Amino acid sequence: MNTDAATNTDGMGTELLSLDGVGKSYGTVLALQDVSLTLRAGEISCVLGDNGAGKSTLIKIISGLHRHDEGSYTVAGEEVRFDSPRQALERGIATVYQDLAVVPLMPVWRNFFLGSEQGTRRWGGLRLDAEGMRATTREALARMGIDLHDVDRPIGTLSGGQRQCVAIARAVHFGAKVLILDEPTAALGVKQSGVVLKYVTAARDAGLGVVLITHNPHHAYLVGDHFTLLRRGRMAGSHPRAEIGLEQLTTEMAGGSDLAELSHELARPPVPDSREERPQP
Amino acid sequence: MSSTDLLAQEGLGRDRPAAVRRLLARPELGSLIAAVAVFTVFAGAAEPFLRLSSLGTVLYAASTIGIMAVPVSLLMIGGEFDLSAGVLVTTAALTSSMVSYQFTAVTWVGVLVSLATTLAIGWFNGFMLGRTKLPSFIVTLGTFLMLTGANLGVTKAISGTVSTKSISDMEGFESCRRLFASEVTVGGLTIKATVWWWLGLLVVGSWVLLRTRFGNWIFAVGGDADAARAVGVPVARTKTLLYLGVGFGAWVLGQHLLFSFDTVQSGEGIGNELIYIVAAVIGGCLITGGYGSVVGSALGALIFGMASKGIIYAQWNPDWFKFFLGAMLLLAALLNAYVKRRAERGPR
Amino acid sequence: MSITRFRPSRRFWPVCAVLALAVTAAGCSSTGGRRAEEARAKAAAAGGSAVTTPRWKVAMVTHAGAGDAFWDTVRKGAEQAAAKDNITFLYSNDAQTQNQVQLVQAAIDQKVDGLLVTLAKGDAMADVLAKAKAAGIPVITINSGQEYSQKFGALTHIGQDESTAGRAAGTELSSRGRKNVLCVIHEQGNVGQEQRCSGAQSKAGGAFQVLYVNGVDMPDARAAISAKLQADPAIDTVLTLSGPMAATGLQAIQDAHRSVELDTFDLGGQVVAGLKSGSVGFAVDQQPYLQGYEGVDLLWLYRSNLDMLGGGKPVETGPQILTKDNADALAEYVARGTR
Repeated sequence: MNTDAATNTDGMGTELLSLDGVGKSYGTVLALQDVSLTLRAGEISCVLGDNGAGKSTLIKIISGLHRHDEGSYTVAGEEVRFDSPRQALERGIATVYQDLAVVPLMPVWRNFFLGSEQGTRRWGGLRLDAEGMRATTREALARMGIDLHDVDRPIGTLSGGQRQCVAIARAVHFGAKVLILDEPTAALGVKQSGVVLKYVTAARDAGLGVVLITHNPHHAYLVGDHFTLLRRGRMAGSHPRAEIGLEQLTTEMAGGSDLAELSHELARPPVPDSREERPQP
Repeated sequence: MSSTDLLAQEGLGRDRPAAVRRLLARPELGSLIAAVAVFTVFAGAAEPFLRLSSLGTVLYAASTIGIMAVPVSLLMIGGEFDLSAGVLVTTAALTSSMVSYQFTAVTWVGVLVSLATTLAIGWFNGFMLGRTKLPSFIVTLGTFLMLTGANLGVTKAISGTVSTKSISDMEGFESCRRLFASEVTVGGLTIKATVWWWLGLLVVGSWVLLRTRFGNWIFAVGGDADAARAVGVPVARTKTLLYLGVGFGAWVLGQHLLFSFDTVQSGEGIGNELIYIVAAVIGGCLITGGYGSVVGSALGALIFGMASKGIIYAQWNPDWFKFFLGAMLLLAALLNAYVKRRAERGPR
Repeated sequence: MSITRFRPSRRFWPVCAVLALAVTAAGCSSTGGRRAEEARAKAAAAGGSAVTTPRWKVAMVTHAGAGDAFWDTVRKGAEQAAAKDNITFLYSNDAQTQNQVQLVQAAIDQKVDGLLVTLAKGDAMADVLAKAKAAGIPVITINSGQEYSQKFGALTHIGQDESTAGRAAGTELSSRGRKNVLCVIHEQGNVGQEQRCSGAQSKAGGAFQVLYVNGVDMPDARAAISAKLQADPAIDTVLTLSGPMAATGLQAIQDAHRSVELDTFDLGGQVVAGLKSGSVGFAVDQQPYLQGYEGVDLLWLYRSNLDMLGGGKPVETGPQILTKDNADALAEYVARGTR
């Protein structure tokens, strides 16, 4: 499972996964409809959308938490239907959740290996190879450009951005081919966001395909190769980087005509019984 | 891509050396200091406290708490409680005694059936927790009440009285007694079998926690169950195994109860579950899980043993013992919360 | 690295079950156990009701906590008398006084023909016993509350005065030449236990100390008693206040490697065995069987013939001092749960 990151670059450009006309409904609520997306190795594909646009449903389908109802989901040319995140993980699809990335009170190295601990040869692999795991953690982080000597400190002592970085490094180390990042910069300041985006590109350079979910078009445009826009569960646009500029992306993201309507409403003096008392953030 | 030191701006260097900081962040540190303090106080106040024979008595008292404090502390690090732990000990003793007596079987049969029973009850706690998603406080409170009632009801229905009948004249009793309730005297120091069991559980428990994959999972499910699940840790199974551990501890202590006192009162054990939790908390376990130590729980049990018997050696008024224990618990909990905050926030 | 996880084999549990069955089949004990008890029981014969009075209902409401062997013996006595007197016997108990009051009220509501009540905390019972009187239900108090019995209109009180019992123990201690006694109280704040110890102290003559232990944690109590014996080498006698605590006291004496005498209140299998072997000096018994038996029987006598033993003066069921001489007979009675 532990693949050397450098060898992955050979497969640059091969298709890793693709969604074709995927839809999902919860009971009578249609959460996602007719979404298509293709991810290649060494590519960052951004999924943009406002709250409730269907981003998290899409993530859950890709990462195996939920099954899709319509369309097809193909991983490495083979159609799949995942029952658990474990199955997705076994096919090299790793997800880094914004708030679920790590266990704060555990040391960095324990977090790094959580769920994939390595044992020593003696004791039939029962005994943890603590020294080996510490060293490996240090190396793997260094390879991603993270210099952390004391891997014994609780990961909670790292900043939010640093924790995301460790989680990304972990996914890369354990041979993930596809990295799904759920709003990695949402809770971070400008500086921290920059650091995280740098590690996202580092993962890309290591030959991974990255699905970056965000509602921040500026962050997306900094690193993205392809942009998929979601609105109310449907695809509202799908553009390669060459075809779209930041300004257009921002406008489309904010909902184009919706935004015009909003600015129109905000321009009027407030109406007492208006339901639109507060603008959407 | 340039190599960035993420921590450069936080100045690892300007803080205390890592080794010192790591020592201060050890969960056992507080309980170690407290244990030394309690020992010093009683060594000064009570001349008999320092005798070898007294050490044996203190160790015995500590071991009967410590045998349960080991699995209970593991469970608490895994983020759960077990309020049924106290009466489960009595259930283990009653089951063993009644099975042997009623089937006129060699006592080893009762001992094995008792093990199966306590493990089954532990499994039931874990299963209910995993299935219902109710807090373990409620689930095990339910088990606690049910066991309290069943201990009485079943004993009475089977034995006709509320205590079990003597099994000391039955085959196997002597060999069971050797395993669970014997003692060795070395140069004036009498060490009871429970002390060996305690040490054994302590070593195994600590090793499992710190040096095995399962131990890593214990920390993870207690620290953040959702994060653990997201990286593929079987959360429900981990917790169920921890409850099985409590069942095993209860079995050991229950057999000691039986083979040491021969007959068992069905109303015993109530309230002890809290003592086990107190020992674990004094030993550095966080109430909220994810942090703690098995060695600390042993120090907690030792403090309990030294204080409760030290008061007698010093001929002090024992009325205040519980007060002392409560104050100790609060202090320990405060210290733990402080250590946790430091661990989470970092040296800033 | 591969991910291997612990998974108990599907064959694990069936194997366990088969193993357990095999062990059970092969593991019969040739000594002791139920088979021995059944052999003993064959000798005993059953008796039916011997009276012609109508079927009356008598309720007993006690302050017994859950799982106390003592009250089981009281109940056995009451049931035996009820069977003989053609009485339906109803038993209920609750250690909390306010709950016990409700149980008495429930018995009144059932229109019982007689009521047996313990008065552990007498004042709380005044109102509900007045209601019983108003409903015309004869009441006899048993076990505890002798000082309240008459005031609340009970026909009589059956029990042992704890101070008297304590004094009897003290007299026996001094006649046996005990010089330094340790009295072990296993329920802190229990008035009856305090009275036993202070009664014994008043007659014992020599040095006298009290030790409080936790009665629901035997290993802890055992360590506490042995710690005390190690701390104070002058102690030559341990006086316990219940059968199970006596057994624990014997263990503690062994642990402390001291040769001190153990004496106790109340009986139990291990106390009788101790009396027989000499490790227990004497036992002070309040005869719980008698309290239950006489309670029901005196109510029957009162209803059927308006008889009242002693004209309503308290009926003392103890203290009875039991020694090695009684041990053989007692062993049998304790085994069947009537002593």
